[in-house]
This record gives sequence, C-alpha cells and structure tokens, in this order.
Amino acid sequence: MIVLGIESATELVGAAVSDGEGGGAEVTVAGRRRHAECLAPAIEQALALSGRQLREVEVLAVDLGPGLFTGLRVGVATAKGLAQGLGIEVVGVTSLEVLAAAALDAGWPGEVAAVVDGRRGEVFVARYRRGPGPGGLAELSPPARARPEDLAELAAPDGQATLACGDGALRYREALAGVAPVVVAGPTLAAPSPSVLADLALARRSAGCPAVGLEAVVPVYLRDADARINWTQREATGGG
Amino acid sequence: MSGPLVLGIETSCDETAAAVLAPGPRVLASVVSSQVDLHARFGGVVPELAGRAHLELLAPVVAEALERAGAVGHPPVGAVAVTSGPGLMGSLLVGLSHAKALAMAWGVPFIGVNHLEGHLFASLLDHPDLEWPLVVLLVSGGHTMVVAVEGLGRYRLLGQTIDDAAGEAFDKVARFLGLGYPGGPAIDRVARDGDPTAFAFPRALADHGFDFSFSGLKTAVVRAVERAPEANTADVAASFQEAVVDVLVTKAVRALEASGARGICLAGGVAANSQLRARVEQACAERGVAALVPSLAMCTDNAAMIAAAGQWRLEHGAPSPLDLGADPNLELAFAR
Ligand SMILES: [Zn+2]
Repeated sequence: MIVLGIESATELVGAAVSDGEGGGAEVTVAGRRRHAECLAPAIEQALALSGRQLREVEVLAVDLGPGLFTGLRVGVATAKGLAQGLGIEVVGVTSLEVLAAAALDAGWPGEVAAVVDGRRGEVFVARYRRGPGPGGLAELSPPARARPEDLAELAAPDGQATLACGDGALRYREALAGVAPVVVAGPTLAAPSPSVLADLALARRSAGCPAVGLEAVVPVYLRDADARINWTQREATGGG
Repeated sequence: MSGPLVLGIETSCDETAAAVLAPGPRVLASVVSSQVDLHARFGGVVPELAGRAHLELLAPVVAEALERAGAVGHPPVGAVAVTSGPGLMGSLLVGLSHAKALAMAWGVPFIGVNHLEGHLFASLLDHPDLEWPLVVLLVSGGHTMVVAVEGLGRYRLLGQTIDDAAGEAFDKVARFLGLGYPGGPAIDRVARDGDPTAFAFPRALADHGFDFSFSGLKTAVVRAVERAPEANTADVAASFQEAVVDVLVTKAVRALEASGARGICLAGGVAANSQLRARVEQACAERGVAALVPSLAMCTDNAAMIAAAGQWRLEHGAPSPLDLGADPNLELAFAR
C-alpha cells in the first residue's frame, strides 16, 4: 500500500512517500515559514524521487496538529484537495503522536511527553508509551493546551522516566531542567517527520482503523479563535 | 468554442465559492456559501473564524459546483484557477492549497488570480460583448478604486481611497446606527424611507482628482447624531448614503471624461447599492455612454469571476508555478 504523508503542523514542512516496506522518499524544508510555497513542490519532489505517480497513492496521511494554525490550514487543505481529486481516503494523525512515535522508534524505553510550541506563550502537550495499539502507541494523557511553567508537572506527573520531545520541549527546556526523571530530546526529535507520519498512518490502516470522509478531517486546534483580538487586526488589513 | 473547462475557487474573505466555466466564457455552475451569519455577531469578518470555516466548507462547495456543471470526466476540468490575493491570509491559504492539490491530482494547470482582476472580469460574464475602453469603479469592503481599463489585462489606476474603503464606511455607520451587519444592504434598505438632503455630510476630495477619503464621514455622522439625538435614523442613513454615492459617481464621471472611455462599469460588493446603480445609469444615459451594472450575484465575491480571469490568463500567459504563495496585499499589475 502506497501512502503519502503531508506534514506542516510546525516550522517543518514536507512530504513523504512510503510503501511500508522501507521504500520511499522524504523531502523536508525547515525554518522558512513558507508552508504554502513549499508543500506542493515537496510533494512533487518526494513522488519524483520515489519513482511514484500521484495516482498510485492509496492513502493520504496528514498531520492534524496541534500546531501552527497557518501550517495546519495549508496541510489539511492540501490533503483534502488531493483526496477529493484522487478519490482516496485520508488518515489523520496528531503532531504529538508523530513526535512520540519517532521517540519510541529511536529506542526510548520509558514514557514520552510530546510538546509542540503553540506560540503566544503556550504549549500543546500529550503523553505516550509503547503500547499494543495500532502504530505501537498508548496514550497516557490526551492532547492539551498548557502554560510552559506547568510543563514540569505535566510531563512526568507520576515520576516515571520521561523523554520530552518536540519544539516546545526544546524552547522551554529550562522549565523541564530541574525535573529529575525528565530528559529533553535534541533537535532531531523536535519536529514531526513526514515519513514517521506516513508509516504511523499505514500501520493504523493495516490494523483496520477506518479512514474518514473529507468532512471529518478537521484540524486539532486546541485553542478557540480569539474573535476580539483578530477582529481589531482585521480593521487594519481589510477584506476584498 | 473550444478550450478546457476551468474550475474557479475563491476564499479571500468570507465567501467560500467554486464555479465551473466553459469557453465563451459561459458559467456552467457557480456556488457561493456565505459565512455572513457566522461573523454577524462580531460586526465584521473575524479572520480566524473565516479560515476555519473555509477549510470545512470548500470541499463540499467544489463537489457541488462540479456536479451542477456535469463535470464528471477524468479530469473533470482542464485547469484550476484560484484567488491568490489580496485578502485575508488564513482564508487565502485554504483556497490556494486546495486548488494546487486538485490541479496536481488531476494533472492540469494551476493559475493564481488577482481578486481585483476577478472583479473586473465579473462584468464580462454579464455583458460578454462589452466594448473597451471602460472606466471601472471597483467598490467593496476592502477596496475603492477607479481604474481605466483599456482592454483585458491592461489597467491604469486613476485613483483610490486614501483611508477607509466605501464598504467599510457603510459597515461602520451601520454599526453606529444599530442597523446590523453587513452594513451595505442594511443602510440601503433603511435609506429608502429617508430624506437624503436632511443632513449635509462632507464630500471629501470631491472637487478634484480621482482619490477618495471616507474616514471623516463616519465622524461627521456621529457628530450629527450627537447634536440631534432625536434625528430620524432613515434620514441619517439616506444622507450618509447620498454623500458616498455622490463622491463615487462624481469621480467615475470625471474619469470617464478624462479618459474618453465608452462607459462606466461597476464592480465589487458596494455595486449592489441601489442608489449607486441608479445614479451611474442616469449619469451614463445623460452622456450617451454605456452603463455596465453587474447582476447582484456578480457584485459580491464569487468564483465565476475568478475562473473567467484565470481562463483569460491561461490563454494569454502561462500557468502559475506550484510554489506560488498567498499575498494579502497583492496589487493589480498596472500599466505605466
Ligand atoms: Zn471582492
């Protein structure tokens, strides 16, 4: 089964094509904050490098967040457009699951706290360990929005050895520094990887998890639209 | 006529729209899903809410447009055109990304379209045999400009607002008068029962040039109501509307005379205003030139006009690269 992974939930934007047996290609761009400009070319490149055509893709995997609202819009709209145009299914995975899957793949034996930088002085966090579920992830606490100063307590509430990974963990590593059982992962595990996303979606699909209709593919925002703040900003920019 | 069907997509502000255009241009289907109810309680478009709503609405709106047009082939259309700016960033990104993805999936060209150029093409869909050159008065919630159009793709900016857009003035005054949102239709409705000469509101910059200024007008309305709290709201609305329409028509006629155009063409959401339509038709009739007043569906944001501009761009230029970004401040490419 050929899967295309679309990743743009954080600063990293990219695409991966995977056949689930180690074959495929991955193209990523980091730190440019140009999600809309980079994603479609990354998809084309990943397909070309893997020697695949778009019409061979059977499953679309997309990162639903939480993360940057701009990135999520680009990624989810692209996934919906491809799924609509190709008539295929979408499997949504959260950014925090992708981060945790990479950490567990890397061999970390304990618990994982995945932390994405939510900007505006907030982080998105969830905890996982290796488990029997599809893709090998067991969720210990669901995705939640938190303040960085509460990270230490949220990351390892039961004192277990915990690996904190993601750009939020890196940015607020001081908040985690004094907590004995917590180790902060380095930059290699800071961003969700398109190929990990693709393989996680494939594992779920193979385990019989249903793909969903387009109308059910909705980003995990974890933060309400701040109507009043944005409204005053709108006064400055205007519409069409 | 030969040529491919074009799918148009528009998500620059608060309308989620898709349309299918046949050569001609002939509109096979035009679907517009308005978010106006979603934003009404905030008295204006909330960008983050608009972006989220576009993401939910666009796929079904595209599906409906394709189905209504009977576009069922493989691929169903020969090109995908989408607004790439100007507009709200978070809203533009949804349409742009979805359009690129459809073009990739179908293996057809992708074309980024300037929303303002789309408005200029809207009149072409209503009046396929219109004759250039024309003066286009483009008035909406985001823009107020007078453009000399020498032919398709050849535009000269004569003047524009130096502060608020005309539609913005309608929204602000409607909010102040407690008439609700959107302000344009609300004021138009109430003004029918009012006396447009009851208050002498300022006509900023009316005596010379082609630029507009509307920011002082709201202040004048507020002051007038403070001075005369018992004033009839219909009179205030009618007098305000008269001031806006007066300036718009004066400038459009001045542009007509200065450029030797064959007529005046209205475009944009404010072109739905009944008084503006009547006054432009009257001014053109007096001068023996054409008045091109778009249908109400072609005044407000829609995707048929985007498809039309995209179709023309495809015939007279090249498709856009897949690394095209959204530009909230995109300007029309003016000659000279
Ligand atoms: Zn518009």
